[in-house]
Order: sequence, then structure tokens, then C-alpha cells
Amino acid sequence: MENAGVSDLRPILLVEDNPRDLELTLAALAKCQLANEIVIARDGAEALDYLYARNAFEGRDPGAPSVVLLDLKLPKMDGLEVLSIIKNDPQQKHIPVVMLTSSREERDVLTSYEIGVNAFVVKPVDFNAFFEAIQDLGMFWAVLNEPPPRGNNA
Amino acid sequence: MSQQVIGVENCASEPIRIPGGIQPHGALLVADPGSFRLLQISANATEILGPEFALGADLRRLIGPEVETWFGSEDASFQRTISLRDRLFAIVAHLTPQGGIFEFEPVSAAELASLEALNPRLRRLADNIVKLESVRELAQAAAREIRRISGFNRVLVYSFDPEWHGTVIAEDGDGVLPSYLDLRFPASDIPAQARELYRLNPIRLIPSASYVPAPLVPPLSPVDGQPLDLSFAALRSVSPVHLEYMRNMGTLASMSMSILVEEKLWGLISCHNAEPRQLAPQIRAACDFAAKLVALRVGAVERGAHAAQRIRLKQVETDLVARLARADDIETGLVQEARLWLSVADAQGAAIVAGEQVHGVGTTPSEAEIREIADWLRSEPRPDTFATDFLAQDMPGAERFAPVASGLIAASISQLHSRLVLWFRPEVIRTVTWGGDPHKPVIAAPGDRLRPRTSFGEWQEQVRNRARPWSRAEVESAEDFRNALINFVLLRAEEQAALTDQLERSNRELEAFSYSVSHDLRAPFRHIVGYAELLRDRVTNLDDKSRHYLGSITEAALAAGQLVDDLLAFSQLGRASIASTRVDMRKLVDEVRRALEPDMQGRNIVWEVDDLPPAWGDASLLRQALSNLIENAVKYSRGADPARIVISGVANPAETVYSIADNGVGFDMTYVDKLFGVFQRLHRAEDFEGTGIGLALTKRVIDRHGGWIRAEGKINHGAIFTFALPRGNGERGRV
Repeated sequence: MENAGVSDLRPILLVEDNPRDLELTLAALAKCQLANEIVIARDGAEALDYLYARNAFEGRDPGAPSVVLLDLKLPKMDGLEVLSIIKNDPQQKHIPVVMLTSSREERDVLTSYEIGVNAFVVKPVDFNAFFEAIQDLGMFWAVLNEPPPRGNNA
Repeated sequence: MSQQVIGVENCASEPIRIPGGIQPHGALLVADPGSFRLLQISANATEILGPEFALGADLRRLIGPEVETWFGSEDASFQRTISLRDRLFAIVAHLTPQGGIFEFEPVSAAELASLEALNPRLRRLADNIVKLESVRELAQAAAREIRRISGFNRVLVYSFDPEWHGTVIAEDGDGVLPSYLDLRFPASDIPAQARELYRLNPIRLIPSASYVPAPLVPPLSPVDGQPLDLSFAALRSVSPVHLEYMRNMGTLASMSMSILVEEKLWGLISCHNAEPRQLAPQIRAACDFAAKLVALRVGAVERGAHAAQRIRLKQVETDLVARLARADDIETGLVQEARLWLSVADAQGAAIVAGEQVHGVGTTPSEAEIREIADWLRSEPRPDTFATDFLAQDMPGAERFAPVASGLIAASISQLHSRLVLWFRPEVIRTVTWGGDPHKPVIAAPGDRLRPRTSFGEWQEQVRNRARPWSRAEVESAEDFRNALINFVLLRAEEQAALTDQLERSNRELEAFSYSVSHDLRAPFRHIVGYAELLRDRVTNLDDKSRHYLGSITEAALAAGQLVDDLLAFSQLGRASIASTRVDMRKLVDEVRRALEPDMQGRNIVWEVDDLPPAWGDASLLRQALSNLIENAVKYSRGADPARIVISGVANPAETVYSIADNGVGFDMTYVDKLFGVFQRLHRAEDFEGTGIGLALTKRVIDRHGGWIRAEGKINHGAIFTFALPRGNGERGRV
């Protein structure tokens, strides 16, 4: 396996509207001591702006994020819609998406998997459990998980 | 000599409309409507009217040119008096397809003089009967007045029943002829075709029952080659059978007027004389007019009575339907309102049949017999409302319950559920006095021609298996009630559908609610725990008290988060569909025990787990149920050393029963009912943690499977929870 250098670490896109959840998630990610840059989007539209490098994110450093941590309930465009756009775009669909949700609602889980989510995490009330979940996810997707081969057209 | 009884319907074959001759007290001519030449004449015409009334003669020349005016007008009849050879004749004429039929009858000057008196008599009759409300009274008034006008020995008023038997309801006589008042005469006395002729031509006079008919010359009409139709001719010769019947009755002259109510033959006014008696056409017309007055009044009285009964029954029906609308269902409502239900058709018993269910009130046949009646009703197509006062005649075997159900009205409410509403009337045994044996209407000896009966002696008969007939208003009331019930049933179905819609809507709302609760309510608890943890990490030099406070904040928020999760699980359970499979309960228990291991650290627990029979149900739901029960057993046996937890199961033919027993703190049986309620706790929170939802959730799981759950306990002597699950189709019966 090829070891990715620090400078090669692509950013993590965190899509979260709730400021407290945002702060706690950032704290959890900080605890993991990940070197990845964390890009924050506060709603679904902003998340897509980043992914498609448009509007506020026009001219950003090129490249896809290593992982998208996507909250389910978002203003303007909810997580399922964003997920569906990503997974239906041949250019974007390889980006791993982890759905974060408060809910244990079965239908959310089912719909997410149908659309092609890579992982689904119910934010536990217990902060330590949340921390562990974020840590595992961050490690797995941001560091260990190899992006698929980009091929010649990259 | 052998005799045989023949139905008088044989009479129907007699050519009563085309007898080919007339009664000889008058003469009949048939004239061509264009040329006024005579086409046919009665054989006695030249003798009575004069030799010039011969075939081919011009009628205008014989009786005057005004005949032509009559033929040209729309007026269908022609009536006048003329003098021929110093004799006065009344002429009555009517137009037929076979020519104009002119009938001549000799009248006396004295008779004509008496016509003056007719008008006041008719007026008096009209004034009289308008005041009378009873059919019998006005029939009596008519009989009296018609006898005065006609001078016959006896005048009878008959009314027909639905089977065309006639009953004498009024009589006026001078004593020469016997009284027939209240006697019944069988339908066979007046055959169907004679009744039809009575309807068409409402008056008929036979001045002498011993006449010899005068034939028509030529016998067939030159217009169409057919016998002359004499339906509307006053002189029409009557059936020899009828003449014999008259002679047998001892009456040599008769006159009948029809009483037509709503174009149906309601009855007859029948005048008899012992001796032959002729009556001028004008006087006959007055009698006919009197009969028409009676008919109008009878119609009005009957319509009035019908309307009054209809209004009364409508009120009953309206009242009953209003009360039914408040009842839980039709059956219950009807039984509660038995009195009104019976009144709808003025019945003594009533029943409603829905499928095999029978609910009856009042005097009815047994349930089995009612089902038998229902089966018979359904056995072939019948009107939606079927009524009879003689069920034993319609339904084979109905004599058995004739005492309570000779009369029946059956209203079919819904074909789908074969719902029937029935009303019953008991048998009314009546004694009927016939004018002669109605079962021997005619006697024919072999080789002999048809003969009418000769005996008119009173003949009594007991009428059995018959109920008081249902009136038209009563049958209509049953029909109306049927329609109301049908609307009612439809309305109920609509209400049910609306209710279902409403339930579905509020279910969806509830679902949306719990969805947003699950997302939004958990977040703040998560935040509290998160910030408390961050604070703990950040401040390293906290004293014990501060650390305790921080710990309490986290615990409280975690408990609240757990509560939200439990509530959600509970509400989801109502909606989740059950995916039933065979579940290895032994394996499930082992899994639950493994999951509970952290709670059991440092505990001394003795487990006794039987070889549990498999269950039929939703594995994940059953795991929840089992997990709650075992967790409780572990939790509440905390103070026991060793704690004993016994899990056993037994497969019965219909269900599998499991029980979980512990030797823990138990509970007070006084509160056993509260055990399975949401948020019901029997212990203080600081003694035993928990949200108070676990057992409610367990019960809901078992309920959703169609099973049951029970708890038994005694304080400080442990508790035992027993639940049963129905066995799956494939499992049933296999022990």
C-alpha cells in the first residue's frame, strides 16, 4: 500500500448546520489529531458549492475531499438530496459519504443505503461513544481508505 | 252416476263477448257509418220495429237525419227516445269497428214520467254519502237508494277481496228474496272474463232469465267476417250458464252495476227480482250514476284511510330511524326499539337476519325456523319487499309455524351480507259463511254440458293458516323503512371510511411528530453530555464535588436521551410490520445474556435455562421483549445472593408459553395492573434505574404477535413473567 504523505491529505468536508453539533464534532475530530484540513459547509447548497467549486468556493484548491461527513437534516437542501446528487454524478460518486444523524429512524437508514451512502452513523448521546465513532470514521475514511484509482482521465 | 267437479274457469271458453244474439226485449241494428245502410239486424227487429227495418235500409230515413250529425261528432254515444208505430222506444247507440250499433228498447209513458223524480233522488244520495266515512254505511245508503230508483226486490253490494271472493257488505230488500248479507260468494261465481267485461261495461240488465235469444242476421259482420262484438251492447245475450245460475238462485231479473275504484273492479251492486223486470235505459243510467257516486266516495274514503295510516306509520318509521342512528349497530338498535320496530308494519313479531345471526322481538318462530324462512326467501329472486298473509301457501312446510307466522313481510336490506328484516303476523282462524259450498262451484256430469251450482245454502268454513292481511300502507311503510335502512347502512360505511381516513391521517401526523422528536429532542442531550465531557477534559484540577456535579449532569442527560430512545422504540412498535419466522428462543436468550454481561459484573447469578421450544414471530421484536424481561430479572434480583433466574418454555397445541422468574424484590400484586403501563414504575428511581417503558414495550410486542403476557409477584419473594405466542400455521398442533 502506498503511504500518503501529509501534504497529500485531502480535506474532510463537514456539513453541519447545528453550531453545537459542529463544535462538538470539531472537538472530536481534533481529539483524533487528524492532519486533514476540515472544510465546513453549513447547509446542503454550500456543500455542493464546495464539491463543484462554485460560488464561495470558486477557485478553491482542486480535488475531491477525502470524505464528506454529512448531517441528515439541513436547511435549504437536506442530506439525502445532497447524497443523491453526489452519488448520481459519475465525477463525484467515488467520494465517500458518511451520513451523520440524530435519528434511529429506520427509513432514513434504508433510504441512505439505497442512494449509496458509504456509512451511516447515529450520533450517540454519549459523547465518548460519539468521539469514538468520529475517530473511527476519520481514521478509516480520511487516512486509511484509498480513493479509487483515478485512471488516465484525471 | 259419477260426477266430477270442474273449475268454472271453463266458463272462460264461453264466447261471452260474441254470443251471436241479443236479449229479445229490444232490437239491435248495425249500420254502416258512411251509408247508414243496415249491415246486421237482430231477428226480432222487423217484428218489434216494423217491416221497414230490413237489411240494406237507410237508417236516416227510418229514424231521422240527426243520426248523421251524431256519426260526424266526437260523441261516442247516442241516446234519445222516438216514437215508432205509436210505441215509444229508447235508442242507445255506440260506434264500433264493425259499424254503429243501435239498440232499441220499448219504454212506457209512465216510466218516462217517473224520470222527473230521478234527479232529486240522485242528489240526495250524493249529499248523503259525502257525509259517510265508513264503506259499509255508504254501501248501505247506495243499496237503499238504488232499490228505490230501480224497484227491484233486493239490492246487494259486494266487495271483492284480493282473491276475487265477494262478500255482501250491504243489502236492501222488500223480503221477497232471501237475505244474503255478510255471505261470501266464491270467485268462481264471476269468472275472470266476466269481471273484465264488468270493468269495461259497468251496467248490465237481464229483464228475464228465461228468455230465448234473438240471433243476429246475418250471423257474421259483413265488415270483417267476424262475429259481432257486443261487449258494450246493453242487449248483449248472456251466458246460458249465468241464466241457469239466476234461475237456481230464484231470481228471474237482475241488474248489475260495477264499482270501479282507481280503474279496478272494487265491487258490484247487484239488483234482483223474483219476477221478470224491465227497466228503461234512462233509469238504468241513473242507477249506473249512483254506482259511480258510490265508487268515487269509496275511493275517497279508502284513500283517506290509507293516507291517515301512512302518515301514522311514517311517524313511527321516522322515530325509529332517528333512534337507530344513535345505536351502535342496526341489530342492537332494533332490539332496543322493539315496540317501534313492530309498529312499522303493525306486526306481532319481527326479526333481523344477518348471515346466520338472528335477532328477534315479539312473537316469532324459533331462530332455526326464521333461518329456514330466510333460506327460502333467498332461494329464488323475489321483490325487495315481499308480503304475504298466507305463508303456508307460498312456503312449503310453513304450516308448522303458522300460529305465529301466517303473515310475513320480508325486506332485503343488503344482498352482500344477505341481511333481511322480517315482520310476522299470527294466524287468525276465521269462520267464513259462504253462499253455497265454494269448493263445488259447478258440476258436470259426463256427457252433460257445464252446469252452475244449485245450492246457495249457507256453508261455513274455517279459514286456517291465514293472517290479517297487510294493508297497502303497512307494506309501503316496510318498503320505506327498508330504504331508510339501506341509506343508513351506506351512511355507516361512509362514516367508517371517513374514520379510517382520519385515523390514517393522524397516524401519519404522529409519525411525522415522532420523526422530528427523534431528531430534535436527542440533540440537546447530546450537546449537554458533549460539553460536560469537554469541560471535564479541559479542567484538570476539579475538586471531587465539582466532578460529582459534572458527572450528574452527564448522567441526567444520558438518562433523558435513553428515555427519548425508548419512547421512540415504543411508538415505532405500533407501526412496524411483523416479519414472522421461526425463532430459536434459546439462542435469543443466550444473545441477550451476553449483551447484559456488563450489568452482571460482580454479581452471583445462578441461571436455569430450559431447552426452550422455538417461537413463531419477529426475531428482532422478540429479542427486545425478551431483553426487557431478562434485564428486569437481573436488575431486580440485585440484592439476592445468589440471584436465581429461571427461564422455561412449553409448547402447547395452540401457543408456546415462556416464563422468566427471579428471586428478587418482587412487587405488590395490588399494582399488577399498572405494571405494563407506559411510565408506570413500582420502585423509586434511586433504587432501580429505568425509564418505565420497558414492560409497556414488551407487552406491545407480545400483543402485536397476538399473544398474552401476565406477571405474578410478591414483595421480596421475586417475580415471574409469563407470556404466550400463538403458534405459526405450520407449527400448530406439533408438540
